[in-house]
Amino acid sequence: MDKEDIIKNYEDILRKYNILNQISKTVASTLDLNRILHIILTGVTFGNGFGFNRAFLFLIDHNEKNLIGKMAIGPATEEEAWQIWGSIQQKNSSLEEFLNSEDFIKNLESEILNERFRNIKISLENQKILLQCLNDGLPRRVDLTLKNNQFQSQFQSQPKPAAQFQNDFISDSAQIEDELLNLIDYPKFCIIPLISRTKKVGIMIVDNKFNKREITKDDINYLLMLSQFAASSIRNTVIYNDLKDSLSALSQLNVKLTDLNTKLSYLKEYNEKIIESIPISIIVIDNNFEVTLCNENCSGIMKVDKSRIIGKKIDTHKIYLDGGIDLVSEIKRVMNDKKQKVFYKVAISFEDHASDDIFDVVIAPLKITEENPEGVVLVIENITETVKLQKAINDLKRFSELGQLSATVAHEIRNPLIVIGGYANRIKKRLNEGKKIDSRNLDLIINEIRRLEKIVYDILDYAADKEIEFARVDLSLLLSECIDFAEISSERNNISITIECGMEFIEQEKMYMYGSYDKLKQAFINVLNNAIEASHTNDLVKFYINRVKDEGEDWVYLKVNNKAVLANKDDIYNIFLPFYTTKLKGTGLGLTITKRIIEQHSGIIEAESSQEHGTTFIIKLPLIN
Amino acid sequence: MKKILVVEDEMPIRNLYKEELADEGYEVITAPDGVAGYEMFKKEKPDLITIDLKMPNMNGLELLDKIRREDKVIPIIIYSAYGEFTQNFSTWAADEYLVKSSDLSEFKNKVKELLVKKAS
Repeated sequence: MDKEDIIKNYEDILRKYNILNQISKTVASTLDLNRILHIILTGVTFGNGFGFNRAFLFLIDHNEKNLIGKMAIGPATEEEAWQIWGSIQQKNSSLEEFLNSEDFIKNLESEILNERFRNIKISLENQKILLQCLNDGLPRRVDLTLKNNQFQSQFQSQPKPAAQFQNDFISDSAQIEDELLNLIDYPKFCIIPLISRTKKVGIMIVDNKFNKREITKDDINYLLMLSQFAASSIRNTVIYNDLKDSLSALSQLNVKLTDLNTKLSYLKEYNEKIIESIPISIIVIDNNFEVTLCNENCSGIMKVDKSRIIGKKIDTHKIYLDGGIDLVSEIKRVMNDKKQKVFYKVAISFEDHASDDIFDVVIAPLKITEENPEGVVLVIENITETVKLQKAINDLKRFSELGQLSATVAHEIRNPLIVIGGYANRIKKRLNEGKKIDSRNLDLIINEIRRLEKIVYDILDYAADKEIEFARVDLSLLLSECIDFAEISSERNNISITIECGMEFIEQEKMYMYGSYDKLKQAFINVLNNAIEASHTNDLVKFYINRVKDEGEDWVYLKVNNKAVLANKDDIYNIFLPFYTTKLKGTGLGLTITKRIIEQHSGIIEAESSQEHGTTFIIKLPLIN
Repeated sequence: MKKILVVEDEMPIRNLYKEELADEGYEVITAPDGVAGYEMFKKEKPDLITIDLKMPNMNGLELLDKIRREDKVIPIIIYSAYGEFTQNFSTWAADEYLVKSSDLSEFKNKVKELLVKKAS
């Protein structure tokens, strides 16, 4: 090699390093992926640069399963090739000038090869040469014009290749992906892997399809150097763009979150407003007996500011219901039993302040999950107005009944009056005639007067507007007295009586209710008497007592059954009406009074009658602890 | 002696009518309800019948209907504490409808009147 050749050689090396330097500087100035790819490919194909005829760039997808065609530069035909090179050589500009020129920026999207190439997809799954390149990070030279043996001999005649490229010759098309062969459509090209550190980025393919120049070892060395910073620039840009996308997605998410938050706080406010405005007191108490919620109405009836209730233990307050029932102990009991408790029509005293108002009180376990109640909710409703209204309705009902009553009474007292008047006339007539008087006639008059007195007594009892005095009633004691009465009365009337659930049951059960001892006794005895008097001699009367506990409610059931059957179907509906009687004795007011007493005690009384079972009266009354 | 059947469920009233009519010189037989009243009518062949309306087992209107199907001419007096039944067509089959009173003179007059009418 003479001196001139050596100088020329060094000039070429310098020029190529200069190109690398120019490309790297330009690439570093942008974060636009398309622009970076364009700069790299232009550098590779530029006449004053590396001067390859065509260059193709693939990027690997996120799963590393496919290579996707991103950009290709080079003429599509030989004719076009001469045109492009001609125009660039005329301008004779340097690569750096060209990359910054308007021509370059304008032509960014107009390369002809791009049309065919962009978005072409080559799968790496068949494990051919592209995947091998990416795995070992080494470039490959492809020459499909050589047969294997030719290649061997030619290779041997050439200077010994650098150690690192010993396996870089590919002459068998079977080793190459079909999509790639179809795309390049030229038997000699070079494959350069783009790898940033250990991360696979993509593949660059170059060839000299139009001037047919052989690709040299030096070419590959320069391309490898280029590929190093090309790969890291591309990778950085991809990471940057991914980050940018994530950031924009995040900020959109943030907008949605803010929106959701606004809706949530609206809903919260909405619920709170409902709880605050309902005319019912609500207190929520957690497992530690601490009040977590209390509405305005509640602080109103407790006459204590909300701040003195919320966050404080409930047992710092003294709250008592009628009959000295301690509400706080009841709350603790519900917390343990997890069973709802209800107190109807009770007066409440808060911290020793009592009012005349009447309340319904419900203590319910607060169920967050089925097994694990989070506490209790206490609901207190002021029903004073409702009770007043109910009383007004009852008064009206009684007046209307009194109207019907007076018509019936007129008839009921007519028969005794006829007897009394009739016998009085008869006695007077016989006295006038000087005849003897039968004292049995006077007995008849006296009996009828007694009957009238009884009617008057019952009417007064029925019409009396007396408030019943309510107190705690020992129902077990009361029922044992009623059983004594029933046994004596049935014996006197020659009726047999059976009592189911006898004294032992009654003494064990310790049943209490809230009401009037005397009134309840009157009601029970009326029903028992009714059954005994309506029975025929030697008939059987049955008296059942039963207690039913259900869902925190506690009831006593009394049933009185006899063999008598009501002749008329309507009797069962009319039996509680005033003066409706199927008996020869009696005023027809007993069951009417009984029904009213039971209803005053929040109970229910019903009658059933059938040929098969006779007639049964059923009384159901609520018990207290 | 004329025979009168008194059908009435209330014992004191039944006795009162019986004693008062006996004083007038009639033979008086009694029944406490409609069923017994019909049996007496068949068995005793009375000359006149007095019937109360409100009675157990068979009421006065049913009894009246039953008797009138067999005997169109026997004098029958209905007497009741309830005046409103005069509006009821069924009661028209009776010769008289009287509202009960402690003064039995009108009742006794009607009995006499109807027996005389029957005889003529």
